[in-house]
Amino acid sequence: MAVKFDIQNLNAWFGLKHVLKSINMKIEENAVTAIIGPSGCGKTTFIRCLNRMHEITPGARVSGKVLFNGIDIYDNGVDPVMIRRKIGMVFQKPNPFPMMSIYDNVAAGLKLNGVRDKKILDAAVRRSLELANLWDEVKEDLNKSGASLSGGQQQRLCIARALAVEPEVLLMDEPCSALDPIATAKIEALIRKLAENYTVVIVTHNMQQAARVSDYTAFLYLGELIEYGPTKQIFENPKHELTERYLTGEFG
Amino acid sequence: MSRIIDTGLEELSATLYRMGELAHRAVLTALLECLEGREAYKEVHEMADTLLVTADHIEDKAFELIARFQPVASDLRTIKSYMKIAYDFARFGRYALDISFINKRLGGLKNCEEWINSHVKNMSEKALEMVRLSIESLKSHDTQLAEKISGKEKEVDKIYFEFLDKLIKSGATTKCAVSSVLIVRYLERIADHATYICESIIYIATGQKVVLR
Repeated sequence: MAVKFDIQNLNAWFGLKHVLKSINMKIEENAVTAIIGPSGCGKTTFIRCLNRMHEITPGARVSGKVLFNGIDIYDNGVDPVMIRRKIGMVFQKPNPFPMMSIYDNVAAGLKLNGVRDKKILDAAVRRSLELANLWDEVKEDLNKSGASLSGGQQQRLCIARALAVEPEVLLMDEPCSALDPIATAKIEALIRKLAENYTVVIVTHNMQQAARVSDYTAFLYLGELIEYGPTKQIFENPKHELTERYLTGEFG
Repeated sequence: MSRIIDTGLEELSATLYRMGELAHRAVLTALLECLEGREAYKEVHEMADTLLVTADHIEDKAFELIARFQPVASDLRTIKSYMKIAYDFARFGRYALDISFINKRLGGLKNCEEWINSHVKNMSEKALEMVRLSIESLKSHDTQLAEKISGKEKEVDKIYFEFLDKLIKSGATTKCAVSSVLIVRYLERIADHATYICESIIYIATGQKVVLR
């Protein structure tokens, strides 16, 4: 497997609270890796450590290495803004910029990076919306507010916005938890499509979603990586008693 | 706190135990017929039919549990294996019916040579022990118990081939030869299905797909 992330002895804290404990794992390129575990186990913190968003929170601290394409993103001299452009994030609640049009939402990242050429922007907006399976639904309404879309469309708009700056990785933090089943199915189909060219890491509370969309599944419990392996194996034949009990709903 | 899927799983396993006991009774009845010369075809036929219908019922129930609860891990392995075991039990019923049919059509082994009767009886006892062992392993989900079937399966196979070799050289009457060969063949198949059941028990408990044959 081509390794996109090689995470070595990763620890994270909020103040004195040790929330991730010595995580070691390799994440495969162009595959979907799901992170599951009960609330408070460190799932969200974990993916926020993968693009240096954890350190934005006051009092938050990280130790260990996160090798991204072989380079430690926590090395001195690595620009966190550059990292976040390469490693995009999609959040639980769709959060399009409410005062901006659909077009501007998608173009925002490029404009921030100084792209002004209308042709380049038009092409990027269209490509990103197409990739996010949203273009056909909004192509006549590009100047409408992003907030006018349905919840599922807004989430796909956020995915398009993340894709516009041409990242290599998409981190998704419960991207469907605010969506209805139809919108969820669309996002899940989109995740599978994106995995052909992007590395996707998704945090989900919905175990069946992890089973449906992911190639690999990691189970975190109380900040520790309990079990990690191919999704088929984790869901059919988990090796660890805790994983078994969590998956079958004995605790959680 | 018990989970809502547990009610369904408990219902499945209770139905499966009942199937096991009925399957054992069907095989025992058919063998007694052949060895002691009784007539019980109708009775065995009814048991075999009930086993088939129950296997269908278990499959339907298992499908419902999958659709409702999307089971994973040991729950998923249990449901998959219960469907398989229900089929194995239905096969016991089918072979019992086949054995009973031999009695009905060709007459049993009662008036055959003593050595044929005792050889078939010996193999019958072994096969019935294996059926019993598969049912007990299912009830207890005891993998050590399930593993014990491996030795017994080899023993039944050995008796089976020994019998065929001896029969060919024996000059037994055609009627007795045909009847006994069919019966030992069905016994050999029954022994195999008992072994599959024990393999399923180990799969449920450990996730390992072992071959005990």
